[in-house]
Amino acid sequence: MDQNQNPAVKAPELLTVSPSPHAHRQVTTASVMKDVLIALLPATVWGIYLFGIRAALVVVLCVVFSVLFELLTQLVLRRPVTISDCSAAVTGLLLGLNLSPTVPFYVPVVGSAFAIIVVKQLFGGIGKNIMNPALAARVFLMMAWTGEMTVFPAAYDRVALSVDAVASATPLVSLKQGVLPDASLSELFFGQIGGCIGEISVLMLLVGGIYLLVRKVITWHIPVAFLGTVALLTFLFPQGDLPRLTFMLTSLCSGGLVLGAFFMATDYVTSPVTPAGRIIFGVGCGALVVFLRYFSGYNEGVSFAILIMNALVWYLDMCTKPRVFGKKRREKKA
Amino acid sequence: MLFGKECKTTVKFTFRGGTHLNEHKETATLPTVRLPEPRTVSIPLSQHIGAHATPTVAVGDKVLVGQVIGTVEQGLGCPVHASVSGTVKEIVTRHNAQGIPIQNIVIENDGERTLHPSVKPWGKPLAQTAPSEIIEIVRKAGISGLGGATFPTYAKLQSALGKVDTVIVNCAECEPYITANHRLLLERGETVITGLEIVMHALSVTEGIIAVEDNKPDAIALLQKAVGDNPNIRVCVVKTKYPQGDERQLIYAIKHREIPAGKLPADVGCVVINAETLSAISRAFYRGIPLVSRIVTVTGDCIKNPQNVRAPLGTPYSELIEFCGGLVKTPKKIVSGGPMMGQAQWDIHAPVTKGTSAILVFSEEYDRINTYHSACIHCGNCVTHCPMHLMPNYLAQYAQARRYDDAAKMNVMSCVECGTCTYNCPAGVQIVQYIRVAKGALRMKK
Repeated sequence: MDQNQNPAVKAPELLTVSPSPHAHRQVTTASVMKDVLIALLPATVWGIYLFGIRAALVVVLCVVFSVLFELLTQLVLRRPVTISDCSAAVTGLLLGLNLSPTVPFYVPVVGSAFAIIVVKQLFGGIGKNIMNPALAARVFLMMAWTGEMTVFPAAYDRVALSVDAVASATPLVSLKQGVLPDASLSELFFGQIGGCIGEISVLMLLVGGIYLLVRKVITWHIPVAFLGTVALLTFLFPQGDLPRLTFMLTSLCSGGLVLGAFFMATDYVTSPVTPAGRIIFGVGCGALVVFLRYFSGYNEGVSFAILIMNALVWYLDMCTKPRVFGKKRREKKA
Repeated sequence: MLFGKECKTTVKFTFRGGTHLNEHKETATLPTVRLPEPRTVSIPLSQHIGAHATPTVAVGDKVLVGQVIGTVEQGLGCPVHASVSGTVKEIVTRHNAQGIPIQNIVIENDGERTLHPSVKPWGKPLAQTAPSEIIEIVRKAGISGLGGATFPTYAKLQSALGKVDTVIVNCAECEPYITANHRLLLERGETVITGLEIVMHALSVTEGIIAVEDNKPDAIALLQKAVGDNPNIRVCVVKTKYPQGDERQLIYAIKHREIPAGKLPADVGCVVINAETLSAISRAFYRGIPLVSRIVTVTGDCIKNPQNVRAPLGTPYSELIEFCGGLVKTPKKIVSGGPMMGQAQWDIHAPVTKGTSAILVFSEEYDRINTYHSACIHCGNCVTHCPMHLMPNYLAQYAQARRYDDAAKMNVMSCVECGTCTYNCPAGVQIVQYIRVAKGALRMKK
């Protein structure tokens, strides 16, 4: 190349040659996961404020052990260690928010192990799991430690580290029996009730959900379809002889519905990629929640509903393939 | 003009999908500068799709600007001209950016810029020139698409003869960093319009549309003034969004016509030509000058004085970089063309060719963000942004698993390789590269 060389400009011996594009949006898996953590912060803080130090401890245990189990599994399975992408921390935080602050301390540890090792890593790690790890772990704990998992303290009952709490009936129990819960609608909305650490304040969850929407981490499709379906069905078919609107609003503000709609159902890995698929997914979740709340042996149905829809994600994606530019929708495949 | 006003005010023409990129068009305010005569030029005899030209000069020959130094006897291809006057120093085989060996004619520049006697204007006025004569002028001038894809323009015109009703001038310039077309519109906008008139005459078309992205308001205003009352030409403002400059997306945005998969713009009655190509056609017709130079945007975080430079074809990149003040950081990557579809070069002394719309020199700091890789997290960003409405995440997964037939069933061949999916991927998956692999494998099978 001597003829063409220009001594005034020196390049390093080797230049990087890589395929295009050579530009990249400044958004990474880690930044997305950090956004989810930030969005969950208001609800977490509120739960800790309401239930005291023990709630904080449960959440911290979940996060720490989730990250730890991810690290250990990846080391044992000789996979690249990916704890820095924060996805294990998100799983841990979600699991913690789905637990009662009164659970014995081994429950968060076992739950984290189940979520990370069984549901996530054994299926291939981030991006490969079929079901939402935090929800699957919650369901596992519900079945294995039903008693411990369903003891909820009352609001402002700042549970001491070792004292057993007095159980208080959750709004969902009342709704199932066709009566209105003791808590008023505003108490439900602002989170002045007993329940799992992260699911009590609808307001705080909405703040986080709107943050995710504004940051374009999630799209509106799943939460709107999910909550809209629940609203519609509970309005059309109220339990007992409660007024429709009150029943609908109470149903929307009870249990883990808002947490599930904004933070669990929208989990990238276990939700469809197409807008139409996301709407069907949300509608399916909503319908299953109402069905399970009305007819199943459990009081709540959000976990089961989302897990069932998780299993359908591949089919929803395939059924809602967008029409390719320049092709007819139903073209005979060659 | 009613239609022109309509374009200007309310609806912005666009398509579904795509993404708004960080524009980095800092060089848009700086005038284009002519490069001082390079010491030597190295002109590749194959600069685009089509046949390799054979040299018509020998080592030691004196050549003049515009003289034919390589011809294509058969098949697709156009002649290659000397871009400077001087002596043929050697004819060597060099590897281009893709590693393909290509014959290069190296000319030592005498700095005189003496024109070859064959460079003279086409004598007849446009109205008395037959379409076939215009196509021949375009072929003889060696003009190929200057937007980057470098398809020989004469072949494009020939295939469009009698089939099209609209000529669209592509001034979208949707790639970040590049401002060569923008500056051309500001400085030589009238040559684009005269070039458009020549092409419209050649194809006997009465509708000419100049499509400009709305991030160039100064160029839009100037063009609208220059078009004036011409009833056949209008300026159409399209939304600034990548890949607005892809002909499929451009035709859809303006005419709402969808090119069927595997077909060409001519099949929906349109022909799309880059602005600088039209300017070159105008120069070839009115002044007889073949394509011997082009505007190159030299920029990137390693360049001291980023700007647009008009450089003779064959000029080494290093010469342009030196002219722009040299390097201020150690380069990691040198890209020919835009950052989305441009090609990374392995040689800083590579020659400027007809397809070199920009030379981007990036340091390691710029490139770092591109080195993050993790597994697909199924976020769906690639699906919502794909301008062809494909599902790139699944295509990439099929390609990774070597299930190319399944990828074909999901229309992998419709991919235009614009790179929007990879750009938007938070996991850093090289989606478009996996798709290229699948497309290559499927082509081999046929």
